[in-house]
Amino acid sequence: MAVRVVIVDDSPFSIAVIRNILEENGFEVVGEAGSLEEVKEVIAAAQPDLVTMDMTLPGTDGLECTRAVHAINPNIKVIVISSMMDEEILKEAKENNVSGYIQKPVDAEELLGTIQRVIAYEEIFQTLEDAYFEVFKETLKDALNRMTKTLLTYKSEYEMKEDFESRGIVVIVGIIGKFSGRLMIDLSKETAHALVAAMMKKEPSSINEITAALAEFTNIVAGNACSILNRKNKAFGLRLAPPSVMHGDRMSISHASFKTMSAAADTHYGEVMLNVGFRRGEDKWM
Amino acid sequence: MDVAHVNPFIDSFMNVMPQLGFTDVRKGGLGVKGQELNCSGVIILVGIVGTLKGNVVYLIDEENAKKIASTMMMGMPVEQLDDMARSALSELSNMLTATAATGFANLGVNIDISTPTLLSGENVSVKMSSKQVLSLQLLANDVPVEVLISFES
Repeated sequence: MAVRVVIVDDSPFSIAVIRNILEENGFEVVGEAGSLEEVKEVIAAAQPDLVTMDMTLPGTDGLECTRAVHAINPNIKVIVISSMMDEEILKEAKENNVSGYIQKPVDAEELLGTIQRVIAYEEIFQTLEDAYFEVFKETLKDALNRMTKTLLTYKSEYEMKEDFESRGIVVIVGIIGKFSGRLMIDLSKETAHALVAAMMKKEPSSINEITAALAEFTNIVAGNACSILNRKNKAFGLRLAPPSVMHGDRMSISHASFKTMSAAADTHYGEVMLNVGFRRGEDKWM
Repeated sequence: MDVAHVNPFIDSFMNVMPQLGFTDVRKGGLGVKGQELNCSGVIILVGIVGTLKGNVVYLIDEENAKKIASTMMMGMPVEQLDDMARSALSELSNMLTATAATGFANLGVNIDISTPTLLSGENVSVKMSSKQVLSLQLLANDVPVEVLISFES
Protein backbone atom coordinates (compact mmCIF):
# COMPACT_ATOMS: atom_id res chain seq x y z
CA MET A 1 0.00 0.00 0.00
CA ALA A 2 1.29 3.45 -0.94
CA VAL A 3 2.50 5.70 1.87
CA ARG A 4 -0.08 8.46 2.29
CA VAL A 5 1.28 11.98 2.58
CA VAL A 6 -0.13 15.41 3.40
CA ILE A 7 1.89 18.43 2.25
CA VAL A 8 1.82 21.50 4.50
CA ASP A 9 3.11 24.59 2.72
CA ASP A 10 1.77 28.00 1.82
CA SER A 11 3.52 28.22 -1.54
CA PRO A 12 1.73 26.58 -4.48
CA PHE A 13 5.11 26.30 -6.20
CA SER A 14 6.66 24.32 -3.33
CA ILE A 15 3.58 22.13 -3.06
CA ALA A 16 3.80 21.35 -6.78
CA VAL A 17 7.50 20.45 -6.52
CA ILE A 18 7.02 18.19 -3.49
CA ARG A 19 3.87 16.60 -4.89
CA ASN A 20 5.68 15.87 -8.12
CA ILE A 21 8.59 14.11 -6.43
CA LEU A 22 6.27 12.09 -4.21
CA GLU A 23 3.84 11.01 -6.90
CA GLU A 24 6.59 10.07 -9.31
CA ASN A 25 7.94 7.75 -6.65
CA GLY A 26 4.82 5.89 -5.71
CA PHE A 27 3.60 7.98 -2.78
CA GLU A 28 -0.01 9.04 -2.52
CA VAL A 29 -0.56 12.72 -1.74
CA VAL A 30 -3.85 12.77 0.14
CA GLY A 31 -4.08 16.43 1.05
CA GLU A 32 -2.56 19.89 1.28
CA ALA A 33 -2.74 22.53 3.97
CA GLY A 34 -1.41 26.07 4.27
CA SER A 35 -2.62 27.23 7.69
CA LEU A 36 -3.14 25.85 11.20
CA GLU A 37 -6.90 25.51 10.62
CA GLU A 38 -6.34 23.64 7.37
CA VAL A 39 -3.75 21.39 9.03
CA LYS A 40 -6.24 20.37 11.71
CA GLU A 41 -8.98 19.74 9.17
CA VAL A 42 -6.94 17.92 6.56
CA ILE A 43 -4.97 15.74 9.00
CA ALA A 44 -8.07 14.66 10.91
CA ALA A 45 -9.88 13.81 7.68
CA ALA A 46 -7.02 12.19 5.75
CA GLN A 47 -5.11 10.45 8.62
CA PRO A 48 -1.89 10.29 6.57
CA ASP A 49 1.20 8.24 7.41
CA LEU A 50 3.48 11.18 6.85
CA VAL A 51 3.38 14.97 6.68
CA THR A 52 5.86 17.28 4.99
CA MET A 53 5.93 20.51 6.95
CA ASP A 54 7.00 23.99 5.94
CA MET A 55 8.38 26.10 8.79
CA THR A 56 7.09 29.55 7.85
CA LEU A 57 3.34 29.63 7.52
CA PRO A 58 0.92 32.56 7.76
CA GLY A 59 -0.28 33.08 11.31
CA THR A 60 1.49 30.00 12.64
CA ASP A 61 4.70 28.02 12.18
CA GLY A 62 5.78 24.49 11.38
CA LEU A 63 6.32 23.58 15.02
CA GLU A 64 2.84 24.63 16.12
CA CYS A 65 1.39 22.74 13.16
CA THR A 66 3.52 19.67 14.03
CA ARG A 67 2.08 19.71 17.54
CA ALA A 68 -1.40 19.97 16.03
CA VAL A 69 -0.67 16.94 13.83
CA HIS A 70 0.53 14.90 16.80
CA ALA A 71 -2.42 16.00 18.91
CA ILE A 72 -4.61 14.31 16.29
CA ASN A 73 -2.39 11.25 15.92
CA PRO A 74 1.05 10.94 17.57
CA ASN A 75 2.07 8.19 15.16
CA ILE A 76 2.04 10.43 12.11
CA LYS A 77 5.60 11.19 11.03
CA VAL A 78 6.49 14.78 10.28
CA ILE A 79 9.37 15.76 8.01
CA VAL A 80 10.16 19.46 7.91
CA ILE A 81 10.97 20.95 4.53
CA SER A 82 12.10 24.51 5.06
CA SER A 83 14.35 27.14 3.57
CA MET A 84 15.61 27.83 7.09
CA MET A 85 17.99 25.45 8.80
CA ASP A 86 20.24 26.17 11.75
CA GLU A 87 21.16 24.43 14.98
CA GLU A 88 18.57 26.20 17.08
CA ILE A 89 15.72 25.38 14.75
CA LEU A 90 16.87 21.75 14.41
CA LYS A 91 16.88 21.43 18.17
CA GLU A 92 13.38 22.87 18.39
CA ALA A 93 12.22 20.54 15.63
CA LYS A 94 13.58 17.55 17.54
CA GLU A 95 11.89 18.71 20.72
CA ASN A 96 8.63 18.81 18.80
CA ASN A 97 9.05 15.22 17.62
CA VAL A 98 9.93 16.00 14.06
CA SER A 99 11.37 12.88 12.38
CA GLY A 100 13.47 14.51 9.70
CA TYR A 101 14.54 17.90 8.42
CA ILE A 102 15.53 18.90 4.93
CA GLN A 103 16.29 22.26 3.43
CA LYS A 104 14.71 23.91 0.41
CA PRO A 105 15.30 23.84 -2.51
CA VAL A 106 14.10 20.28 -2.24
CA ASP A 107 16.42 17.65 -3.57
CA ALA A 108 14.42 14.60 -4.67
CA GLU A 109 17.03 12.08 -3.51
CA GLU A 110 17.33 13.70 -0.11
CA LEU A 111 13.57 13.80 0.39
CA LEU A 112 13.12 10.18 -0.68
CA GLY A 113 16.05 9.04 1.46
CA THR A 114 14.68 10.83 4.50
CA ILE A 115 11.19 9.39 4.01
CA GLN A 116 12.59 5.89 3.58
CA ARG A 117 14.63 6.18 6.75
CA VAL A 118 11.65 7.43 8.74
CA ILE A 119 9.30 4.75 7.43
CA ALA A 120 11.85 1.97 7.89
CA TYR A 121 12.55 2.98 11.49
CA GLU A 122 8.86 3.00 12.26
CA GLU A 123 8.33 -0.37 10.59
CA ILE A 124 11.19 -1.97 12.51
CA PHE A 125 9.89 -0.60 15.80
CA GLN A 126 6.43 -1.88 14.96
CA THR A 127 7.81 -5.38 14.31
CA LEU A 128 9.44 -5.32 17.73
CA GLU A 129 6.35 -3.88 19.40
CA ASP A 130 4.16 -6.57 17.85
CA ALA A 131 6.45 -9.42 18.86
CA TYR A 132 8.29 -8.77 22.09
CA PHE A 133 5.65 -9.38 24.75
CA GLU A 134 4.67 -12.85 23.57
CA VAL A 135 8.34 -13.76 23.20
CA PHE A 136 9.22 -12.68 26.74
CA LYS A 137 6.17 -14.41 28.18
CA GLU A 138 7.05 -17.58 26.34
CA THR A 139 10.72 -17.54 27.40
CA LEU A 140 9.79 -16.97 31.06
CA LYS A 141 7.44 -19.92 30.88
CA ASP A 142 10.02 -22.01 29.08
CA ALA A 143 12.91 -21.12 31.42
CA LEU A 144 10.79 -21.92 34.47
CA ASN A 145 9.76 -25.19 32.93
CA ARG A 146 13.29 -26.22 32.05
CA MET A 147 14.74 -25.22 35.41
CA THR A 148 11.98 -26.47 37.71
CA LYS A 149 9.87 -28.81 35.54
CA THR A 150 6.80 -26.82 36.49
CA LEU A 151 4.37 -24.77 34.47
CA LEU A 152 3.01 -21.29 34.89
CA THR A 153 -0.30 -19.73 33.94
CA TYR A 154 -0.65 -16.11 32.95
CA LYS A 155 -3.68 -14.78 34.73
CA SER A 156 -3.57 -11.16 33.66
CA GLU A 157 -1.87 -8.90 31.17
CA TYR A 158 -1.96 -5.15 31.09
CA GLU A 159 -0.11 -2.05 30.06
CA MET A 160 1.70 -0.68 33.10
CA LYS A 161 0.44 2.84 33.52
CA GLU A 162 0.95 3.43 37.23
CA ASP A 163 3.64 2.99 39.82
CA PHE A 164 3.37 -0.23 41.70
CA GLU A 165 4.59 -1.61 44.98
CA SER A 166 7.08 -4.40 44.59
CA ARG A 167 6.12 -7.78 45.96
CA GLY A 168 9.51 -7.77 47.71
CA ILE A 169 12.23 -8.53 45.20
CA VAL A 170 12.71 -7.08 41.75
CA VAL A 171 15.30 -8.02 39.16
CA ILE A 172 15.99 -5.43 36.49
CA VAL A 173 17.81 -5.99 33.22
CA GLY A 174 18.51 -3.09 30.88
CA ILE A 175 18.15 -3.91 27.20
CA ILE A 176 20.11 -2.03 24.58
CA GLY A 177 20.02 -2.14 20.80
CA LYS A 178 18.37 -0.22 18.00
CA PHE A 179 15.70 0.40 20.62
CA SER A 180 16.42 0.37 24.30
CA GLY A 181 14.21 -0.91 27.05
CA ARG A 182 14.15 -2.96 30.20
CA LEU A 183 12.88 -6.16 31.68
CA MET A 184 11.71 -6.52 35.29
CA ILE A 185 10.73 -9.60 37.17
CA ASP A 186 8.99 -8.96 40.47
CA LEU A 187 8.10 -11.51 43.10
CA SER A 188 7.76 -11.91 46.86
CA LYS A 189 10.62 -13.10 49.06
CA GLU A 190 8.68 -16.29 49.83
CA THR A 191 8.11 -17.00 46.15
CA ALA A 192 11.75 -16.26 45.41
CA HIS A 193 12.87 -18.62 48.15
CA ALA A 194 10.67 -21.46 46.93
CA LEU A 195 11.55 -20.88 43.29
CA VAL A 196 15.29 -20.85 43.94
CA ALA A 197 15.03 -23.93 46.16
CA ALA A 198 13.33 -25.73 43.27
CA MET A 199 15.91 -24.53 40.75
CA MET A 200 18.86 -25.55 42.94
CA LYS A 201 17.15 -28.66 44.29
CA LYS A 202 18.20 -27.58 47.78
CA GLU A 203 17.32 -24.95 50.31
CA PRO A 204 19.16 -21.69 49.61
CA SER A 205 21.47 -20.90 52.49
CA SER A 206 21.23 -17.11 52.32
CA ILE A 207 19.42 -14.22 50.71
CA ASN A 208 22.59 -13.76 48.71
CA GLU A 209 22.21 -17.16 47.14
CA ILE A 210 18.60 -16.34 46.30
CA THR A 211 19.38 -13.02 44.66
CA ALA A 212 22.29 -14.52 42.72
CA ALA A 213 20.09 -17.33 41.40
CA LEU A 214 17.30 -14.90 40.51
CA ALA A 215 19.75 -12.65 38.68
CA GLU A 216 20.91 -15.62 36.62
CA PHE A 217 17.35 -16.80 36.01
CA THR A 218 16.30 -13.35 34.76
CA ASN A 219 19.43 -13.13 32.66
CA ILE A 220 18.51 -16.41 30.98
CA VAL A 221 14.92 -15.28 30.34
CA ALA A 222 16.06 -11.95 28.90
CA GLY A 223 18.91 -13.50 26.91
CA ASN A 224 16.72 -16.17 25.35
CA ALA A 225 14.00 -13.67 24.50
CA CYS A 226 16.41 -11.20 22.93
CA SER A 227 18.04 -13.96 20.87
CA ILE A 228 14.67 -14.95 19.48
CA LEU A 229 13.84 -11.32 18.69
CA ASN A 230 17.24 -10.72 17.09
CA ARG A 231 16.69 -13.76 14.88
CA LYS A 232 13.34 -12.31 13.78
CA ASN A 233 15.04 -9.09 12.74
CA LYS A 234 18.77 -8.59 12.82
CA ALA A 235 18.28 -4.84 12.90
CA PHE A 236 17.07 -5.03 16.54
CA GLY A 237 20.60 -5.91 17.69
CA LEU A 238 19.39 -6.34 21.28
CA ARG A 239 21.97 -6.87 24.02
CA LEU A 240 21.69 -7.05 27.78
CA ALA A 241 23.17 -5.13 30.65
CA PRO A 242 23.91 -7.34 33.67
CA PRO A 243 20.95 -7.93 35.99
CA SER A 244 20.57 -5.92 39.20
CA VAL A 245 18.54 -7.23 42.10
CA MET A 246 16.78 -5.04 44.62
CA HIS A 247 14.83 -6.03 47.66
CA GLY A 248 13.33 -4.13 50.52
CA ASP A 249 10.16 -3.22 52.27
CA ARG A 250 7.66 -0.98 50.54
CA MET A 251 9.67 -0.57 47.39
CA SER A 252 7.73 1.48 44.89
CA ILE A 253 8.61 1.09 41.22
CA SER A 254 7.77 3.87 38.80
CA HIS A 255 6.09 3.21 35.53
CA ALA A 256 8.30 4.02 32.56
CA SER A 257 7.88 7.05 30.34
CA PHE A 258 7.22 4.67 27.45
CA LYS A 259 4.77 1.83 27.00
CA THR A 260 5.62 -1.31 28.94
CA MET A 261 3.56 -4.47 29.26
CA SER A 262 3.07 -6.52 32.39
CA ALA A 263 1.93 -10.08 32.83
CA ALA A 264 1.16 -11.65 36.18
CA ALA A 265 1.73 -15.37 36.30
CA ASP A 266 0.67 -18.01 38.78
CA THR A 267 3.51 -20.40 39.35
CA HIS A 268 3.89 -23.39 41.61
CA TYR A 269 5.83 -21.11 43.96
CA GLY A 270 3.60 -18.05 44.01
CA GLU A 271 2.93 -15.05 41.82
CA VAL A 272 5.60 -13.74 39.46
CA MET A 273 5.23 -10.54 37.50
CA LEU A 274 6.97 -9.86 34.23
CA ASN A 275 7.23 -6.31 32.92
CA VAL A 276 8.99 -5.39 29.71
CA GLY A 277 8.97 -2.57 27.21
CA PHE A 278 10.96 -0.68 24.64
CA ARG A 279 11.16 2.99 23.96
CA ARG A 280 10.37 4.07 20.43
CA GLY A 281 13.19 6.56 20.83
CA GLU A 282 14.49 8.76 18.13
CA ASP A 283 16.33 7.75 15.07
CA LYS A 284 19.63 9.54 15.13
CA TRP A 285 18.99 12.01 12.35
CA MET A 286 21.19 14.77 13.62
CA MET B 1 37.45 -1.68 38.32
CA ASP B 2 39.32 1.14 36.69
CA VAL B 3 39.07 4.33 38.70
CA ALA B 4 39.47 6.32 35.47
CA HIS B 5 35.95 5.16 34.63
CA VAL B 6 34.51 7.72 37.02
CA ASN B 7 35.85 10.68 35.05
CA PRO B 8 33.20 10.69 32.30
CA PHE B 9 30.54 10.65 35.03
CA ILE B 10 32.13 13.60 36.81
CA ASP B 11 32.46 15.55 33.56
CA SER B 12 28.89 14.75 32.63
CA PHE B 13 27.57 16.03 35.96
CA MET B 14 29.64 19.20 35.70
CA ASN B 15 28.26 19.81 32.19
CA VAL B 16 24.65 18.80 32.53
CA MET B 17 23.67 20.17 35.94
CA PRO B 18 24.44 23.85 35.18
CA GLN B 19 22.21 23.56 32.10
CA LEU B 20 19.39 22.54 34.41
CA GLY B 21 19.74 25.53 36.70
CA PHE B 22 22.30 24.33 39.26
CA THR B 23 24.84 27.10 39.67
CA ASP B 24 27.21 25.33 42.05
CA VAL B 25 28.41 21.88 41.05
CA ARG B 26 31.17 20.06 42.89
CA LYS B 27 32.77 16.69 43.17
CA GLY B 28 32.66 15.04 46.58
CA GLY B 29 34.33 11.86 47.73
CA LEU B 30 35.12 8.70 45.84
CA GLY B 31 35.13 5.29 47.39
CA VAL B 32 34.84 1.59 46.72
CA LYS B 33 31.89 -0.39 48.00
CA GLY B 34 30.94 -4.01 47.99
CA GLN B 35 28.46 -5.70 45.72
CA GLU B 36 25.50 -5.36 48.05
CA LEU B 37 24.43 -1.86 49.01
CA ASN B 38 21.83 -0.55 51.35
CA CYS B 39 19.97 2.43 49.98
CA SER B 40 17.07 4.68 50.91
CA GLY B 41 15.29 7.29 48.85
CA VAL B 42 15.18 7.43 45.10
CA ILE B 43 17.14 4.82 43.19
CA ILE B 44 17.54 5.07 39.44
CA LEU B 45 19.17 2.27 37.53
CA VAL B 46 20.60 2.55 34.01
CA GLY B 47 22.11 -0.41 32.15
CA ILE B 48 25.27 -0.15 30.06
CA VAL B 49 26.43 -2.34 27.19
CA GLY B 50 29.40 -2.01 24.87
CA THR B 51 33.15 -2.11 25.42
CA LEU B 52 32.18 -1.84 29.07
CA LYS B 53 29.21 -3.71 30.48
CA GLY B 54 27.49 -2.93 33.72
CA ASN B 55 25.08 -0.65 35.49
CA VAL B 56 24.99 2.81 36.96
CA VAL B 57 22.76 3.65 39.89
CA TYR B 58 21.91 7.19 40.94
CA LEU B 59 20.95 7.55 44.58
CA ILE B 60 19.26 10.61 45.96
CA ASP B 61 17.52 10.78 49.29
CA GLU B 62 13.87 11.71 49.11
CA GLU B 63 14.06 15.31 50.33
CA ASN B 64 17.00 16.03 48.05
CA ALA B 65 15.25 14.38 45.13
CA LYS B 66 12.42 16.88 45.60
CA LYS B 67 14.91 19.75 45.58
CA ILE B 68 16.51 18.53 42.38
CA ALA B 69 13.18 17.96 40.66
CA SER B 70 12.04 21.43 41.73
CA THR B 71 15.15 23.11 40.32
CA MET B 72 14.77 21.12 37.09
CA MET B 73 11.20 22.35 36.83
CA MET B 74 12.20 26.03 37.01
CA GLY B 75 11.73 26.24 40.76
CA MET B 76 8.20 24.87 40.82
CA PRO B 77 7.55 23.68 44.37
CA VAL B 78 7.70 19.90 44.68
CA GLU B 79 5.82 18.75 47.78
CA GLN B 80 5.92 15.11 46.90
CA LEU B 81 7.60 12.96 44.33
CA ASP B 82 4.68 12.74 41.96
CA ASP B 83 4.71 11.46 38.39
CA MET B 84 6.10 14.71 37.03
CA ALA B 85 8.96 14.83 39.55
CA ARG B 86 9.82 11.16 39.06
CA SER B 87 9.80 11.60 35.34
CA ALA B 88 12.14 14.61 35.65
CA LEU B 89 14.55 12.52 37.76
CA SER B 90 14.43 9.62 35.30
CA GLU B 91 15.19 12.03 32.50
CA LEU B 92 18.06 13.47 34.54
CA SER B 93 19.63 10.03 34.93
CA ASN B 94 19.17 9.46 31.23
CA MET B 95 20.87 12.77 30.36
CA LEU B 96 23.74 12.22 32.79
CA THR B 97 24.43 8.69 31.58
CA ALA B 98 24.07 9.60 27.89
CA THR B 99 26.51 12.48 28.34
CA ALA B 100 28.92 10.18 30.18
CA ALA B 101 28.59 7.74 27.25
CA THR B 102 29.69 10.52 24.91
CA GLY B 103 32.62 11.16 27.25
CA PHE B 104 33.58 7.48 27.10
CA ALA B 105 33.34 7.60 23.29
CA ASN B 106 35.88 10.44 23.31
CA LEU B 107 38.22 8.08 25.19
CA GLY B 108 37.66 5.43 22.53
CA VAL B 109 35.32 3.39 24.75
CA ASN B 110 31.97 2.81 23.09
CA ILE B 111 28.98 2.20 25.30
CA ASP B 112 25.21 2.36 24.87
CA ILE B 113 22.71 2.84 27.65
CA SER B 114 19.33 1.32 28.48
CA THR B 115 16.21 3.15 29.58
CA PRO B 116 16.25 4.16 33.25
CA THR B 117 14.19 2.39 35.91
CA LEU B 118 13.22 4.43 38.96
CA LEU B 119 12.40 2.94 42.34
CA SER B 120 11.96 4.39 45.75
CA GLY B 121 11.87 2.90 49.21
CA GLU B 122 13.52 2.62 52.57
CA ASN B 123 16.30 0.19 53.32
CA VAL B 124 16.42 -1.19 49.84
CA SER B 125 19.19 -3.63 49.25
CA VAL B 126 20.71 -3.16 45.81
CA LYS B 127 22.86 -5.90 44.40
CA MET B 128 24.88 -4.99 41.37
CA SER B 129 26.65 -7.37 39.05
CA SER B 130 30.31 -6.65 39.80
CA LYS B 131 32.07 -7.54 43.03
CA GLN B 132 33.22 -3.99 43.53
CA VAL B 133 31.24 -0.86 43.01
CA LEU B 134 32.69 2.63 42.69
CA SER B 135 30.81 5.18 44.69
CA LEU B 136 31.09 8.75 43.54
CA GLN B 137 29.63 11.63 45.47
CA LEU B 138 28.59 14.67 43.43
CA LEU B 139 26.95 17.84 44.65
CA ALA B 140 24.66 20.26 42.84
CA ASN B 141 23.80 23.36 44.88
CA ASP B 142 24.96 21.33 47.90
CA VAL B 143 22.47 18.56 47.15
CA PRO B 144 24.35 15.26 47.16
CA VAL B 145 23.85 12.68 44.42
CA GLU B 146 25.61 9.37 44.83
CA VAL B 147 26.59 7.63 41.64
CA LEU B 148 27.30 3.92 41.93
CA ILE B 149 29.25 2.53 39.01
CA SER B 150 29.50 -1.18 38.45
CA PHE B 151 31.36 -2.53 35.45
CA GLU B 152 32.06 -6.18 34.82
CA SER B 153 35.69 -6.85 34.21
